[in-house]
Amino acid sequence: MNAVVFDVALTAYILAAVAALSSLIWRRDDLGRAARVLTLAGWICHTAAVGLRGMELGRPPVLTLAEVVSVVIWVAVLVDLVVERRYGITAFGAFLLPVVLALGLGLPTGLRDLALEPQASSAWILVHVALVLVGLAALVLNFGSALMYVLQERQLKAKRPGVFYYRMPSLQTLDRLTLVTLTVAFPFLTVGLGLGVVRAGRAWGRDLVLDPLALFSIVMWLVYAATLSGRVVGRWGGRRAAYFAIVGFCVLLATLGAGVIFQGRHGS
Amino acid sequence: MMERLFVAGLSHHTAPLAVREQLALDEDKLREIVSDLVGRGTCAEIMILSTCNRVEVYGVADVPGEARSAAFRQMGAQRGIGLPTLEPLLYTHGGVEAVQHAFRVASSLDSMVLGEPQILGQVKDAFALAQACRTVGPVLHSLMSQAFAVAKRVRTDTEVGRHAVSVSFAAVELARKIFGGLDGRSVLLVGAGEMGELAARHLVEEGTLPVYVANRTWARAEALARDLAGTAVPFEELLPVLVQVDIVITSTAAPEPIIRAAEVERVLHARRGRPLFLIDIAVPRNVEPAVNALDGVFVYDVDDLRSVVEANLRERQRQAQRAEALVEREVTKFAARLRDLEVVPTIVSLREKLEEIRRAEVARALARLPGADPATREALEALSQGLVNKVLHGPTVKLRDSSRAGHHRRWIEFISELFGLHPRGGAGREP
Repeated sequence: MNAVVFDVALTAYILAAVAALSSLIWRRDDLGRAARVLTLAGWICHTAAVGLRGMELGRPPVLTLAEVVSVVIWVAVLVDLVVERRYGITAFGAFLLPVVLALGLGLPTGLRDLALEPQASSAWILVHVALVLVGLAALVLNFGSALMYVLQERQLKAKRPGVFYYRMPSLQTLDRLTLVTLTVAFPFLTVGLGLGVVRAGRAWGRDLVLDPLALFSIVMWLVYAATLSGRVVGRWGGRRAAYFAIVGFCVLLATLGAGVIFQGRHGS
Repeated sequence: MMERLFVAGLSHHTAPLAVREQLALDEDKLREIVSDLVGRGTCAEIMILSTCNRVEVYGVADVPGEARSAAFRQMGAQRGIGLPTLEPLLYTHGGVEAVQHAFRVASSLDSMVLGEPQILGQVKDAFALAQACRTVGPVLHSLMSQAFAVAKRVRTDTEVGRHAVSVSFAAVELARKIFGGLDGRSVLLVGAGEMGELAARHLVEEGTLPVYVANRTWARAEALARDLAGTAVPFEELLPVLVQVDIVITSTAAPEPIIRAAEVERVLHARRGRPLFLIDIAVPRNVEPAVNALDGVFVYDVDDLRSVVEANLRERQRQAQRAEALVEREVTKFAARLRDLEVVPTIVSLREKLEEIRRAEVARALARLPGADPATREALEALSQGLVNKVLHGPTVKLRDSSRAGHHRRWIEFISELFGLHPRGGAGREP
């Protein structure tokens, strides 16, 4: 049942993404409104799907990688809806939804049944997963705003106004959004991953260094740590910060990919 | 009603400025002319729109051609221009086309600068003037109120008037694209070129403060600073100011760049990642082109600003296509409504006529049934009313349908003759 509802939600997201992109390209506000309605509809279905899965399994639906990704999307879309509404950044969906879809459509292929040591479903793991999850959701948004920044910046530098110039928010707004999302993501990611490392170190011993998901996560954390310190200490300009945010997200995707392909201790 | 509506005039499309400026009359003269034309019965309704880009007469008359000639003869006479000179410059639209023209003009789709906002106000003024002279009747009233509504929709639903089409406003818009809100951003104006000053003024109007002014002649810098409520800074101390400000406008006559990439790069570190927007209005340029390559620094010279303006105009044209489609739909709706208005008097008088007959017949029947109980009376009423409604149904539907299809005049005449009607205020003319 939850799989069906989830597919409905995904379909709504697909339609919303198409509408949002079309609204951006053809500068049609009516399509933008349609995109927002579809996104909201998708998110409501998604909420139902997550809830149903939790009830069917009788446990929090965040113990397989697929479940985690699903909830990451759920949080990211929620924040997108809030950002679009509060700050009037209507083009945000056009950048965020394709990312959400890439993650969501990846779910059926192998991700769906990958369990995160369900036998060890202790409170520790739940806290670990929940913290990482909030961090990842913020990073999805971080990527979306960084991508928008780079595109807008390029058009302003090239001095040829086009699609992005006419539809996107100001550089300053995007830059602030990139910084805020990173600042929110980082503490969650740090504590979440820290808990995981401590706990896994105790449980797995030397196997920790052989777990690809754990290894990639640490690399990802380092990239984001560098970005944040560059911004705070080095006072980086917006462009460099945006490029780093994009690199960080690529590592994030690689991390999820590694979790699927290699299936170390995380996936046993 | 539709057939009697017309618009005639000349505009930047058809007439040179020399003629347009001659015909631009003051309000008193316009008042005189519209009152005179209606007073004599040449027109039933009239208003005159007179701006520097167009002189147009919107009117309702039995013989539109005559009204048009009379109006332009009178206007030309004020300046000694004969009608034969004006005649070849005039265009005339009647009926649906007049409606479309009115909507397009009010929506600024017929303007010289596509989407410029002044025209709507000018149309409103012309309408108010005609109203004050009591030369506006039901047709012009509904036409113009609808034109205002359409213009508003065009403005909100499309972006035909949204993007800057002058160099100095394009600069303001770019600043907003970089910084978001302009409140509290600081500006440095280097040099005292006219265009630089204009751009600075626009920025100050948008809320940028404080303003710094630098000039080779200190007195000039001080004067300009006073003018813009800013601070004069010595020309030799530009770099420290560059650390603080967000927007720089340069318009000096210096033969070589005065702001170089190497200097800006040094300043950037102290700026801690805040973006810097340089508007270089000087020719030759005051800012080295390489400055644009620095992270967070944006340099626009005059050519860049012009190309932005051109892109904005193209964007307005794109949006104009959507606006035209919107206008088209509104014209169709309005024409249908007008035609509906035309058949209404016929329907009303048909209903009155049948009602009259019904009452008379019921009274006659009751006179023959003196002992009728209330139930019988009620039955008679209901029977007769039912009959009338059934009979009315066919012609009513036919009239409304024909008005939608546009050939209602024939049906109005036909039905009027058939039932011997004399509709009041309607278009069904008696033979």
